[in-house]
Amino acid sequence: MAYSEKVIEHYTNPRNVGSFAKGEDNVGTGIVGAPECGDVMKLQLKINPANGVIEDAKFKTFGCGSAIASSSYVTELVKGKHVDEAMAIKNTAIVQELNLPPVKIHCSVLAEDAIKAAITDWRKHQEPAVESADAVPARTAQEG
Amino acid sequence: MQAQEPRTLCTTCGAPLGAAIDCFATLGWPRRLAIDRAALERTYHELGRRMHPDRFVAAAPALRDASLRGTARLTQAYRTLGDPVSRGLYWLELHGRKLADNNKEVSPALAEMVFAVQEQLDDLRTVRSVARGGEAETPAGAAETAAIEAEMRTEVEERREELRGAIDAAGRELEANFADWDKAAAESPDGPHEAGGASAPGADARFAELKAILSKIAYLRTLIRDIDRALETAQAA
Repeated sequence: MAYSEKVIEHYTNPRNVGSFAKGEDNVGTGIVGAPECGDVMKLQLKINPANGVIEDAKFKTFGCGSAIASSSYVTELVKGKHVDEAMAIKNTAIVQELNLPPVKIHCSVLAEDAIKAAITDWRKHQEPAVESADAVPARTAQEG
Repeated sequence: MQAQEPRTLCTTCGAPLGAAIDCFATLGWPRRLAIDRAALERTYHELGRRMHPDRFVAAAPALRDASLRGTARLTQAYRTLGDPVSRGLYWLELHGRKLADNNKEVSPALAEMVFAVQEQLDDLRTVRSVARGGEAETPAGAAETAAIEAEMRTEVEERREELRGAIDAAGRELEANFADWDKAAAESPDGPHEAGGASAPGADARFAELKAILSKIAYLRTLIRDIDRALETAQAA
Protein backbone atom coordinates (compact mmCIF):
# COMPACT_ATOMS: atom_id res chain seq x y z
CA MET A 1 0.00 0.00 0.00
CA ALA A 2 1.35 3.39 -0.93
CA TYR A 3 1.45 6.08 1.71
CA SER A 4 0.32 9.55 0.81
CA GLU A 5 2.97 12.25 0.44
CA LYS A 6 1.85 13.92 3.64
CA VAL A 7 2.13 10.68 5.61
CA ILE A 8 5.64 10.14 4.27
CA GLU A 9 6.53 13.73 5.08
CA HIS A 10 5.39 13.39 8.71
CA TYR A 11 6.92 9.94 9.00
CA THR A 12 10.36 10.98 7.79
CA ASN A 13 10.24 14.30 9.60
CA PRO A 14 8.02 13.80 12.64
CA ARG A 15 7.19 16.90 14.68
CA ASN A 16 7.45 17.15 18.43
CA VAL A 17 8.78 13.70 19.20
CA GLY A 18 9.64 12.98 22.81
CA SER A 19 8.17 13.53 26.21
CA PHE A 20 8.12 16.21 28.86
CA ALA A 21 10.35 15.81 31.89
CA LYS A 22 8.92 13.63 34.61
CA GLY A 23 7.04 15.62 37.18
CA GLU A 24 6.66 18.64 34.94
CA ASP A 25 3.55 20.64 35.85
CA ASN A 26 0.44 21.09 33.77
CA VAL A 27 1.12 18.13 31.54
CA GLY A 28 -1.62 15.70 30.60
CA THR A 29 -0.60 12.29 29.28
CA GLY A 30 -2.69 9.99 27.14
CA ILE A 31 -1.57 6.51 26.17
CA VAL A 32 -3.82 4.61 23.80
CA GLY A 33 -3.46 1.40 21.85
CA ALA A 34 -5.01 -0.40 18.91
CA PRO A 35 -5.19 -4.17 19.38
CA GLU A 36 -5.72 -4.99 15.71
CA CYS A 37 -2.30 -3.74 14.68
CA GLY A 38 -0.44 -3.62 18.00
CA ASP A 39 0.22 0.11 17.73
CA VAL A 40 0.58 2.20 20.85
CA MET A 41 0.65 5.98 21.06
CA LYS A 42 1.62 8.38 23.84
CA LEU A 43 0.55 12.00 23.56
CA GLN A 44 1.47 14.64 26.10
CA LEU A 45 -0.04 18.10 26.20
CA LYS A 46 1.31 21.04 28.18
CA ILE A 47 -1.67 23.13 29.09
CA ASN A 48 -1.81 26.59 30.64
CA PRO A 49 -3.96 26.17 33.75
CA ALA A 50 -4.95 29.86 33.71
CA ASN A 51 -6.65 29.86 30.31
CA GLY A 52 -6.80 26.19 29.29
CA VAL A 53 -4.74 26.74 26.14
CA ILE A 54 -2.47 23.95 24.88
CA GLU A 55 0.99 25.48 24.78
CA ASP A 56 3.06 22.52 23.72
CA ALA A 57 2.64 18.91 22.67
CA LYS A 58 4.90 15.89 22.41
CA PHE A 59 4.34 12.36 21.22
CA LYS A 60 5.97 8.99 20.93
CA THR A 61 4.35 6.27 18.85
CA PHE A 62 5.30 2.68 18.21
CA GLY A 63 3.47 1.64 15.08
CA CYS A 64 3.04 2.01 11.37
CA GLY A 65 3.75 5.09 9.27
CA SER A 66 0.14 6.24 9.39
CA ALA A 67 0.01 6.02 13.18
CA ILE A 68 3.23 8.02 13.48
CA ALA A 69 2.03 10.59 10.95
CA SER A 70 -1.37 10.89 12.65
CA SER A 71 0.17 11.58 16.05
CA SER A 72 2.77 13.93 14.58
CA TYR A 73 0.09 15.93 12.80
CA VAL A 74 -2.05 16.05 15.93
CA THR A 75 0.75 17.66 17.95
CA GLU A 76 0.78 20.51 15.42
CA LEU A 77 -2.98 20.68 15.23
CA VAL A 78 -3.64 21.09 18.95
CA LYS A 79 -0.99 23.68 19.72
CA GLY A 80 -2.59 27.03 20.53
CA LYS A 81 -6.04 25.52 20.82
CA HIS A 82 -8.22 25.66 23.91
CA VAL A 83 -8.77 22.24 25.50
CA ASP A 84 -12.49 22.37 24.66
CA GLU A 85 -11.62 23.03 21.02
CA ALA A 86 -9.08 20.19 21.05
CA MET A 87 -11.64 17.85 22.61
CA ALA A 88 -13.88 18.49 19.61
CA ILE A 89 -11.26 17.43 17.04
CA LYS A 90 -12.59 14.55 14.99
CA ASN A 91 -10.51 11.84 13.40
CA THR A 92 -11.97 12.81 10.01
CA ALA A 93 -9.85 15.99 10.13
CA ILE A 94 -6.75 13.81 10.40
CA VAL A 95 -7.94 11.47 7.64
CA GLN A 96 -8.49 14.44 5.36
CA GLU A 97 -5.17 16.13 6.07
CA LEU A 98 -3.12 12.96 5.62
CA ASN A 99 -5.23 11.32 2.89
CA LEU A 100 -5.45 8.13 4.91
CA PRO A 101 -6.88 5.12 3.08
CA PRO A 102 -9.80 3.22 4.66
CA VAL A 103 -7.55 0.52 6.17
CA LYS A 104 -5.64 3.21 8.09
CA ILE A 105 -8.58 5.12 9.49
CA HIS A 106 -8.13 3.41 12.85
CA CYS A 107 -4.79 5.24 13.15
CA SER A 108 -6.63 8.56 13.07
CA VAL A 109 -9.17 7.27 15.59
CA LEU A 110 -6.25 6.35 17.83
CA ALA A 111 -4.85 9.89 17.56
CA GLU A 112 -8.25 11.40 18.37
CA ASP A 113 -8.53 9.10 21.39
CA ALA A 114 -5.03 10.15 22.48
CA ILE A 115 -6.04 13.84 22.55
CA LYS A 116 -9.09 13.05 24.65
CA ALA A 117 -7.11 10.80 26.99
CA ALA A 118 -4.40 13.44 27.50
CA ILE A 119 -6.88 16.24 28.24
CA THR A 120 -8.89 14.00 30.56
CA ASP A 121 -5.68 13.16 32.40
CA TRP A 122 -4.77 16.86 32.70
CA ARG A 123 -8.26 17.73 34.00
CA LYS A 124 -7.98 15.02 36.61
CA HIS A 125 -4.89 16.73 37.96
CA GLN A 126 -6.54 20.15 37.87
CA GLU A 127 -9.43 19.17 40.09
CA PRO A 128 -7.54 19.10 43.41
CA ALA A 129 -7.06 22.43 45.23
CA VAL A 130 -4.98 24.86 43.19
CA GLU A 131 -2.30 25.01 45.88
CA SER A 132 -1.63 21.30 45.71
CA ALA A 133 -1.75 21.04 41.94
CA ASP A 134 1.99 21.62 41.73
CA ALA A 135 2.66 18.54 43.82
CA VAL A 136 0.90 16.24 41.38
CA PRO A 137 3.46 14.69 39.05
CA ALA A 138 2.70 14.05 35.43
CA ARG A 139 1.67 10.49 34.91
CA THR A 140 4.21 8.41 33.07
CA ALA A 141 4.25 5.08 31.36
CA GLN A 142 6.43 3.60 34.07
CA GLU A 143 3.83 4.20 36.73
CA GLY A 144 1.21 2.37 34.72
CA MET B 1 -23.46 -32.53 22.42
CA GLN B 2 -24.77 -34.59 19.48
CA ALA B 3 -28.22 -33.02 19.72
CA GLN B 4 -29.22 -33.45 16.10
CA GLU B 5 -28.23 -35.30 12.95
CA PRO B 6 -25.40 -33.37 11.29
CA ARG B 7 -26.81 -31.39 8.42
CA THR B 8 -23.44 -31.87 6.88
CA LEU B 9 -24.74 -35.27 5.77
CA CYS B 10 -28.07 -36.25 4.23
CA THR B 11 -30.36 -37.53 6.99
CA THR B 12 -31.72 -40.24 4.71
CA CYS B 13 -28.75 -41.70 2.85
CA GLY B 14 -25.78 -40.23 4.76
CA ALA B 15 -24.24 -38.66 1.67
CA PRO B 16 -22.29 -35.41 2.07
CA LEU B 17 -24.38 -32.34 1.24
CA GLY B 18 -21.59 -29.75 1.04
CA ALA B 19 -24.06 -27.15 2.25
CA ALA B 20 -22.87 -23.67 3.21
CA ILE B 21 -23.65 -23.90 6.90
CA ASP B 22 -21.95 -22.44 9.97
CA CYS B 23 -19.23 -24.19 11.94
CA PHE B 24 -21.53 -25.47 14.67
CA ALA B 25 -24.06 -26.87 12.19
CA THR B 26 -21.19 -28.44 10.22
CA LEU B 27 -20.43 -30.53 13.30
CA GLY B 28 -24.13 -31.05 13.94
CA TRP B 29 -23.81 -29.30 17.28
CA PRO B 30 -25.97 -26.69 18.97
CA ARG B 31 -24.28 -23.31 19.38
CA ARG B 32 -22.52 -23.86 22.68
CA LEU B 33 -19.16 -22.24 23.32
CA ALA B 34 -17.73 -24.59 25.92
CA ILE B 35 -16.29 -27.26 23.67
CA ASP B 36 -14.83 -30.52 24.83
CA ARG B 37 -11.66 -31.10 22.87
CA ALA B 38 -12.02 -34.91 22.83
CA ALA B 39 -15.62 -34.70 21.57
CA LEU B 40 -14.48 -32.32 18.84
CA GLU B 41 -11.76 -34.76 17.75
CA ARG B 42 -14.24 -37.65 17.66
CA THR B 43 -16.83 -35.75 15.63
CA TYR B 44 -14.19 -34.42 13.26
CA HIS B 45 -12.80 -37.85 12.52
CA GLU B 46 -16.20 -39.53 12.29
CA LEU B 47 -17.61 -36.98 9.82
CA GLY B 48 -14.32 -36.77 7.97
CA ARG B 49 -14.35 -40.50 7.44
CA ARG B 50 -17.97 -40.54 6.25
CA MET B 51 -17.50 -37.91 3.56
CA HIS B 52 -13.88 -38.46 2.63
CA PRO B 53 -13.30 -37.61 -1.07
CA ASP B 54 -11.61 -40.99 -1.59
CA ARG B 55 -14.98 -42.67 -1.09
CA PHE B 56 -16.56 -40.63 -3.88
CA VAL B 57 -13.95 -40.92 -6.60
CA ALA B 58 -16.33 -42.89 -8.82
CA ALA B 59 -19.48 -41.07 -7.69
CA ALA B 60 -21.56 -38.56 -9.64
CA PRO B 61 -19.79 -35.19 -10.06
CA ALA B 62 -22.29 -33.40 -7.81
CA LEU B 63 -21.66 -35.87 -5.01
CA ARG B 64 -17.90 -35.66 -5.52
CA ASP B 65 -18.09 -31.87 -5.28
CA ALA B 66 -20.25 -32.11 -2.17
CA SER B 67 -17.68 -34.40 -0.58
CA LEU B 68 -14.88 -31.92 -1.31
CA ARG B 69 -16.85 -28.90 -0.12
CA GLY B 70 -18.08 -30.74 2.95
CA THR B 71 -14.57 -31.88 3.85
CA ALA B 72 -13.21 -28.34 3.46
CA ARG B 73 -16.00 -26.98 5.69
CA LEU B 74 -15.37 -29.65 8.27
CA THR B 75 -11.67 -28.85 8.45
CA GLN B 76 -12.48 -25.18 8.78
CA ALA B 77 -15.00 -25.84 11.57
CA TYR B 78 -12.50 -28.07 13.37
CA ARG B 79 -9.79 -25.41 13.25
CA THR B 80 -12.08 -22.49 14.02
CA LEU B 81 -13.80 -24.06 17.00
CA GLY B 82 -10.79 -26.00 18.24
CA ASP B 83 -8.88 -22.92 19.34
CA PRO B 84 -10.67 -20.84 22.01
CA VAL B 85 -9.46 -17.50 20.61
CA SER B 86 -10.53 -18.24 17.04
CA ARG B 87 -13.78 -19.65 18.45
CA GLY B 88 -14.44 -16.35 20.24
CA LEU B 89 -13.61 -14.33 17.12
CA TYR B 90 -15.90 -16.57 15.10
CA TRP B 91 -18.70 -16.02 17.61
CA LEU B 92 -18.41 -12.27 17.03
CA GLU B 93 -18.32 -12.75 13.26
CA LEU B 94 -21.33 -15.05 13.36
CA HIS B 95 -23.31 -12.24 14.99
CA GLY B 96 -22.07 -9.49 12.71
CA ARG B 97 -19.77 -7.96 15.31
CA LYS B 98 -16.18 -7.09 14.66
CA LEU B 99 -13.29 -6.79 17.03
CA ALA B 100 -11.79 -3.82 15.21
CA ASP B 101 -14.85 -1.58 15.43
CA ASN B 102 -12.99 0.85 17.65
CA ASN B 103 -10.10 1.11 20.09
CA LYS B 104 -12.17 1.54 23.20
CA GLU B 105 -11.64 -2.07 24.20
CA VAL B 106 -8.04 -1.45 25.20
CA SER B 107 -7.88 -0.41 28.84
CA PRO B 108 -5.55 2.49 29.71
CA ALA B 109 -3.55 0.16 31.96
CA LEU B 110 -2.96 -2.27 29.08
CA ALA B 111 -1.98 0.52 26.66
CA GLU B 112 0.48 1.89 29.24
CA MET B 113 1.98 -1.53 29.78
CA VAL B 114 2.38 -2.06 26.02
CA PHE B 115 4.03 1.33 25.71
CA ALA B 116 6.45 0.55 28.55
CA VAL B 117 7.45 -2.74 26.91
CA GLN B 118 7.94 -1.06 23.52
CA GLU B 119 10.22 1.50 25.18
CA GLN B 120 12.16 -1.34 26.78
CA LEU B 121 12.63 -2.93 23.35
CA ASP B 122 13.66 0.41 21.91
CA ASP B 123 16.30 0.78 24.63
CA LEU B 124 17.54 -2.73 23.95
CA ARG B 125 17.94 -1.95 20.24
CA THR B 126 19.79 1.27 21.04
CA VAL B 127 22.24 -0.41 23.41
CA ARG B 128 22.75 -3.19 20.90
CA SER B 129 23.62 -0.81 18.10
CA VAL B 130 26.11 0.92 20.40
CA ALA B 131 27.62 -2.43 21.39
CA ARG B 132 27.84 -3.67 17.78
CA GLY B 133 28.85 -0.34 16.32
CA GLY B 134 32.21 -0.45 18.11
CA GLU B 135 31.63 3.05 19.44
CA ALA B 136 33.13 2.20 22.80
CA GLU B 137 36.56 3.79 23.07
CA THR B 138 38.08 1.29 25.46
CA PRO B 139 37.79 -2.49 25.99
CA ALA B 140 36.44 -1.73 29.47
CA GLY B 141 33.74 0.47 27.93
CA ALA B 142 32.81 -2.27 25.48
CA ALA B 143 32.54 -4.81 28.30
CA GLU B 144 30.31 -2.46 30.23
CA THR B 145 28.00 -1.99 27.23
CA ALA B 146 27.82 -5.75 26.76
CA ALA B 147 26.94 -6.19 30.43
CA ILE B 148 24.15 -3.60 30.15
CA GLU B 149 22.82 -5.32 27.05
CA ALA B 150 22.79 -8.72 28.78
CA GLU B 151 20.93 -7.22 31.72
CA MET B 152 18.37 -5.64 29.43
CA ARG B 153 17.85 -8.90 27.60
CA THR B 154 17.15 -10.63 30.90
CA GLU B 155 14.63 -7.95 31.83
CA VAL B 156 12.89 -8.31 28.48
CA GLU B 157 12.83 -12.10 28.84
CA GLU B 158 11.28 -11.75 32.27
CA ARG B 159 8.70 -9.40 30.84
CA ARG B 160 7.86 -11.96 28.17
CA GLU B 161 7.19 -14.56 30.87
CA GLU B 162 4.84 -12.12 32.62
CA LEU B 163 3.02 -11.52 29.36
CA ARG B 164 2.65 -15.25 28.75
CA GLY B 165 1.14 -15.52 32.21
CA ALA B 166 -1.23 -12.68 31.36
CA ILE B 167 -2.33 -14.52 28.20
CA ASP B 168 -3.01 -17.66 30.23
CA ALA B 169 -5.10 -15.60 32.65
CA ALA B 170 -7.00 -14.06 29.72
CA GLY B 171 -7.61 -17.59 28.42
CA ARG B 172 -9.33 -18.44 31.69
CA GLU B 173 -11.43 -15.26 31.41
CA LEU B 174 -12.40 -16.41 27.93
CA GLU B 175 -13.55 -19.79 29.25
CA ALA B 176 -15.63 -18.04 31.91
CA ASN B 177 -17.21 -15.84 29.22
CA PHE B 178 -18.02 -18.93 27.13
CA ALA B 179 -19.66 -20.52 30.18
CA ASP B 180 -21.78 -17.37 30.61
CA TRP B 181 -23.02 -17.65 27.03
CA ASP B 182 -23.93 -21.31 27.45
CA LYS B 183 -25.65 -20.63 30.76
CA ALA B 184 -27.70 -17.85 29.19
CA ALA B 185 -28.61 -20.11 26.27
CA ALA B 186 -29.64 -22.97 28.55
CA GLU B 187 -31.52 -20.87 31.09
CA SER B 188 -33.20 -18.40 28.76
CA PRO B 189 -36.74 -17.43 29.93
CA ASP B 190 -38.24 -18.73 26.69
CA GLY B 191 -36.52 -22.10 26.93
CA PRO B 192 -33.07 -23.37 25.89
CA HIS B 193 -31.69 -21.74 22.78
CA GLU B 194 -30.38 -24.05 20.12
CA ALA B 195 -28.82 -21.00 18.48
CA GLY B 196 -26.84 -20.03 21.59
CA GLY B 197 -27.17 -17.15 24.02
CA ALA B 198 -26.96 -14.33 21.47
CA SER B 199 -30.69 -13.62 21.74
CA ALA B 200 -30.86 -14.32 25.49
CA PRO B 201 -30.84 -11.44 27.99
CA GLY B 202 -27.50 -9.79 28.70
CA ALA B 203 -25.97 -10.56 25.30
CA ASP B 204 -24.60 -7.03 24.84
CA ALA B 205 -22.64 -7.21 28.08
CA ARG B 206 -21.30 -10.64 27.15
CA PHE B 207 -20.29 -9.38 23.70
CA ALA B 208 -18.51 -6.40 25.26
CA GLU B 209 -16.64 -8.63 27.68
CA LEU B 210 -15.73 -11.06 24.91
CA LYS B 211 -14.36 -8.23 22.77
CA ALA B 212 -12.31 -6.88 25.66
CA ILE B 213 -10.77 -10.29 26.37
CA LEU B 214 -10.01 -11.02 22.71
CA SER B 215 -8.51 -7.56 22.20
CA LYS B 216 -6.28 -8.09 25.18
CA ILE B 217 -5.10 -11.48 23.91
CA ALA B 218 -4.48 -10.11 20.40
CA TYR B 219 -2.51 -7.20 21.81
CA LEU B 220 -0.44 -9.39 24.13
CA ARG B 221 0.34 -11.83 21.32
CA THR B 222 1.50 -9.00 19.06
CA LEU B 223 3.67 -7.70 21.86
CA ILE B 224 5.25 -11.10 22.48
CA ARG B 225 5.95 -11.39 18.74
CA ASP B 226 7.70 -8.00 18.88
CA ILE B 227 9.73 -9.17 21.87
CA ASP B 228 10.68 -12.40 20.08
CA ARG B 229 11.88 -10.41 17.09
CA ALA B 230 13.87 -7.96 19.20
CA LEU B 231 15.56 -10.78 21.11
CA GLU B 232 16.30 -12.77 17.95
CA THR B 233 17.88 -9.78 16.26
CA ALA B 234 19.90 -9.20 19.41
CA GLN B 235 21.19 -12.75 19.17
CA ALA B 236 21.91 -12.63 15.45
CA ALA B 237 23.60 -9.23 15.36
